[in-house]
Amino acid sequence: MITPYCRLLPYLSLTDSCHCTRYQSEVQGRLFPCGYINPGPSASIQAHQIFHFYHIFHHLAISIHPVLQGTEAGGLILIQDSVNYSGRHLKSYINTTLKRYITFPWHEYFQCVVHVLGFEASEDELKDGLDITSAQRLHFHNAYSDPLSWTRNSQFTVHQFTLEDIGTLLKQTPQAKAVTLIIDSLSWILRHHDPAVIWGAVRAVVSLLHSILHQQGTVGRIRHMATSVITVAPGTRGLGEEIFSINEDLTVTIQSKLSHPGHTGMNTEESELADPTANLTFNLRLSDTEREAKEKLALPFDFSKEKKSALLHLGPSSGRILYEPDANDDYDPEDPEDDLDF
Amino acid sequence: MRGEFILVSDKHTDASFLIHHFLSFYLRAGCKVCFLGLVQSFSHYSAISQRLGVSLTQAREKGQLVFLEGLKESLGVLLQGEASKGTRAVDFLRDPSSGLRGLYDFVRDNVRGGGGGEEWGPPVLLVDDLSVVLSLGVSVGAALDFSHYCRATVCSKLQGSMVMLVRCEEEEEEEESDEGSERLLRGLIHQCSLTLQVQGLPTGYCRDIHGQVEVCWRGQCDGQQTQKKLFQYKVHDKGASFFARGTSSAVL
Repeated sequence: MITPYCRLLPYLSLTDSCHCTRYQSEVQGRLFPCGYINPGPSASIQAHQIFHFYHIFHHLAISIHPVLQGTEAGGLILIQDSVNYSGRHLKSYINTTLKRYITFPWHEYFQCVVHVLGFEASEDELKDGLDITSAQRLHFHNAYSDPLSWTRNSQFTVHQFTLEDIGTLLKQTPQAKAVTLIIDSLSWILRHHDPAVIWGAVRAVVSLLHSILHQQGTVGRIRHMATSVITVAPGTRGLGEEIFSINEDLTVTIQSKLSHPGHTGMNTEESELADPTANLTFNLRLSDTEREAKEKLALPFDFSKEKKSALLHLGPSSGRILYEPDANDDYDPEDPEDDLDF
Repeated sequence: MRGEFILVSDKHTDASFLIHHFLSFYLRAGCKVCFLGLVQSFSHYSAISQRLGVSLTQAREKGQLVFLEGLKESLGVLLQGEASKGTRAVDFLRDPSSGLRGLYDFVRDNVRGGGGGEEWGPPVLLVDDLSVVLSLGVSVGAALDFSHYCRATVCSKLQGSMVMLVRCEEEEEEEESDEGSERLLRGLIHQCSLTLQVQGLPTGYCRDIHGQVEVCWRGQCDGQQTQKKLFQYKVHDKGASFFARGTSSAVL
């Protein structure tokens, strides 16, 4: 059974400096301290744009937090996207993770460090859009320019995705108490490694630093491993969810919570989605006069009582066939089809 | 148009007119072009570019154009076998499992500005087309690695541009459809910054409108979403003309 979708999101709304209650979500039975979401006991949050899931999933973020007030922490967050959506959500995640710990006092002891293992995008691309302080606290490990050692200039190759090497990477910031390791992207690694190896490496990484995750079952297996899965897809969804959007400055705002289907915003969007007469090169709509005329039209096989009785009682000279056999018709009653050969 | 990876894909139609367009466009703009022509001969491209106003032979002599004629190189490998002195670029024909590293080395060596002579603009890599290597035994992963490396070198490091053509096969009913060009296409779409998906018209054949192109900007735009636009096109003798849906001159 696949784990339920993202029951956690450590997202922070920076536009709302106000009351942010500490939010703990329950994921697979474990308490997971995460960021501050306003308001929000609702358990499931899905991305603003919901796209259809393609089997290539894309980004993986591992959050490793130290033991915090006795509650076990640590988790594996899997972000799954498709060809229709680009990776801005990952940058947003990085951004909020970096900002998370500096804004609230009870976390101020910890210095949150983000390590990025970048295969898919270059450092410039990833840091584009982040502000300077955040960019400085981001440790980017360049696996983009030469992941397979083709130019013999590689800083991190895909074959180095093992426990020891990742441990070495993370030891570069020994003073950090809370480390988030972001892997961009897991699809890249899966192309070159057997999923079992990845599974082992990732599990080991987390257990090296902290907690033991429950593992279950290539996509499905790692998905099971994740404590939360964020599936990114277009469209809007139904009840009981919060939707959020990613802003220009890569912060995330939680928008309205949809708790009942009568929400007006939802309705118009859904009716727009379902309207097949939009976006056509010919006109399928009816004007008012046309609609009236259509409704007034009497259908030919729609029988009213009068019409039925008129048809059943045939007039005297309606519909009778009069046949006069002429000279060529040689009708033999014993051989009506004229095919007997004597 | 710096640092862009443009992916041209087609399905049940022929998008090579876009390759010809880009080729003459970049040559006219004075960029250094490295063209991997894996499916047609040099004279084919040369003839069409002539009609578009660019001379490929001249460009090649001047050093502005580096042309890998895949068909000719492959003859060396296929006919002479092991003892061939062909370039390493088509090594994948000898041993498909080795991947496209040789081809990448060829690209890397030729895409930098040449020493001496004139200085050309930013480098451009054109590939026509990448899906043909799949039918030659190269795996999808190897093709994606190749395009990754090309992008890292050409787009990120040298701030040049890259245009690749990928052709999708007919849709298969079996699971096998996952293995082929569809997977390559999806992998490439994740890597690129702009896709041009060329298809025939959904309503069928039309003499005046040859098809439609869906242009999709990914990620780097200002908005949150990828921007998509749909245009229709008609291929003329001297290029193609694009217009918004329903505004073809034949219709209006």
